[in-house]
Amino acid sequence: MDQTVLVSLSQQLAAYRSIDAIANNIANVSTPGYKRETAMFQQYIETAPPSEGQDGPQSYSFVQDAGLARDLQQGAVEKTNAPFDLAVNGTGYFVLKRADGTTHYTRNGHFTLDAQGRISTESGDLLQGDGGELAITSDDGDIHIAQDGTVTGAKGQLGKVQLASFADERALTKEGASLYTTTQQPQTVARPNIEQGALEDSNVQPVVEISSMLEVMRAYQASESLNQSQEDMMRQAIDKLGTIES
Amino acid sequence: MRALSIAATGMQAQQTNVEVIANNLANMNTTGFKAQRAEFQDLLYQNVEQAGSQTSDSGTVLPSGIQLGAGVRTAAVSRIMTQGDLSATQNPYDVAIQGPGYFHITMPDGTDAYTRAGNFALSPEGQIVTDKGYTVAPGVAVPTNALSVTVNAQGQVQATVPGQTAPQTLGQIELVRFPNEGGLQAQGDNLFIETPSSGSPQSGLPGSTGYGTIQQGFLETANVNPVQEMTSLISAQRAYEMNSKVVTAADDMLQTTARMGGT
Repeated sequence: MDQTVLVSLSQQLAAYRSIDAIANNIANVSTPGYKRETAMFQQYIETAPPSEGQDGPQSYSFVQDAGLARDLQQGAVEKTNAPFDLAVNGTGYFVLKRADGTTHYTRNGHFTLDAQGRISTESGDLLQGDGGELAITSDDGDIHIAQDGTVTGAKGQLGKVQLASFADERALTKEGASLYTTTQQPQTVARPNIEQGALEDSNVQPVVEISSMLEVMRAYQASESLNQSQEDMMRQAIDKLGTIES
Repeated sequence: MRALSIAATGMQAQQTNVEVIANNLANMNTTGFKAQRAEFQDLLYQNVEQAGSQTSDSGTVLPSGIQLGAGVRTAAVSRIMTQGDLSATQNPYDVAIQGPGYFHITMPDGTDAYTRAGNFALSPEGQIVTDKGYTVAPGVAVPTNALSVTVNAQGQVQATVPGQTAPQTLGQIELVRFPNEGGLQAQGDNLFIETPSSGSPQSGLPGSTGYGTIQQGFLETANVNPVQEMTSLISAQRAYEMNSKVVTAADDMLQTTARMGGT
């Protein structure tokens, strides 16, 4: 069996996977705390018996998905001046508790207050401090959140925003809505660095994404033209061999 | 091919972004207007290969899984509740709130609305009303023969009338606060109404703890920062363009697929 078509097909499937990852990065270029991902591939070697004129078993190398690697580089910190926009500069994730008791983690520090005055996300998950949720009353006036996460109002300290870090950050599962979950034990961050009135930008770099997109597109076209010439060869072979000499 | 639909979500999100920026710029000179910002979140992920699943009996695990994203969505359009600059107008019925709080307005149908825009006027009956004629609660009537009207920092409305040396107290303007003012719903005409997410209003006197003070003869300008809006507009436009490039690239790949073996 001729493997050329299958090898280039495996490359084309890989190109589809790559372009999907790139599209998702570009779509999330303005999502706070978003971390870009790149598709990783590995070889898949198959051996086949030699064809005529070849010695020993022959190997074919296919392309196979290995994973999506998350680039954990810090995104730029952009000022928004909203009092409950928090950016983590360095390691750590905000800890969120949902009404059903589950815990989620996020780097998207856009928070607001809920109807009870608790600091929460837009979807109502509560930001966790050292002693659970952080509630603010109207009498607290302007809220100041210090670099180490200490929340202070007009009447004194209200709590401290908790940050969690993990042994293997890349293994966190993405849940959408900028949330992560994990079965790993969260650890406390030794030196938290929280900035109030700012958000961490997505770490997607448009130049990188667009150029890798072009690269994927060209590779796809190249493998298609490889297919084309392989097909031409076959056709010629059939034409030539099939001609009955008179 | 996901790339097409993913890029479409990206274009939609940036379109929302541009719309929000356009609305901010359009309201640059609207009294008491608070700038808005579109907030984005990534969409659901499809788990193809779970990170951390075992790759052998000896306990080696996959260092990174495959989770395919589906694009982006607009999570919310939130309001930035910072104080706008106060600009002097000299009009006695222009009042601005310096600090937190909202004026309480009684709508013609008896419901409540709240506003930061203090460009008030008098009704034919001498009531202090908004520029639409809605009463400013709890209702302050100014006598027709009043020579001058003062509103002090604590919201007390006083007038001097002919023949009296001491100013006469006409009423008190109250302010209202919410646990989460970002949750208020904009009604147009600079008015907001209460929602379950804003929490219930708490009224208090201007100048008391947690409430702002009243400045007579001033209006609060919009807190839109034009420079910031323009730079956001440029980056939104570029992001839109990039997403459309992805559509073109995906289209190109699909076209190549369609051509395969087709000659």
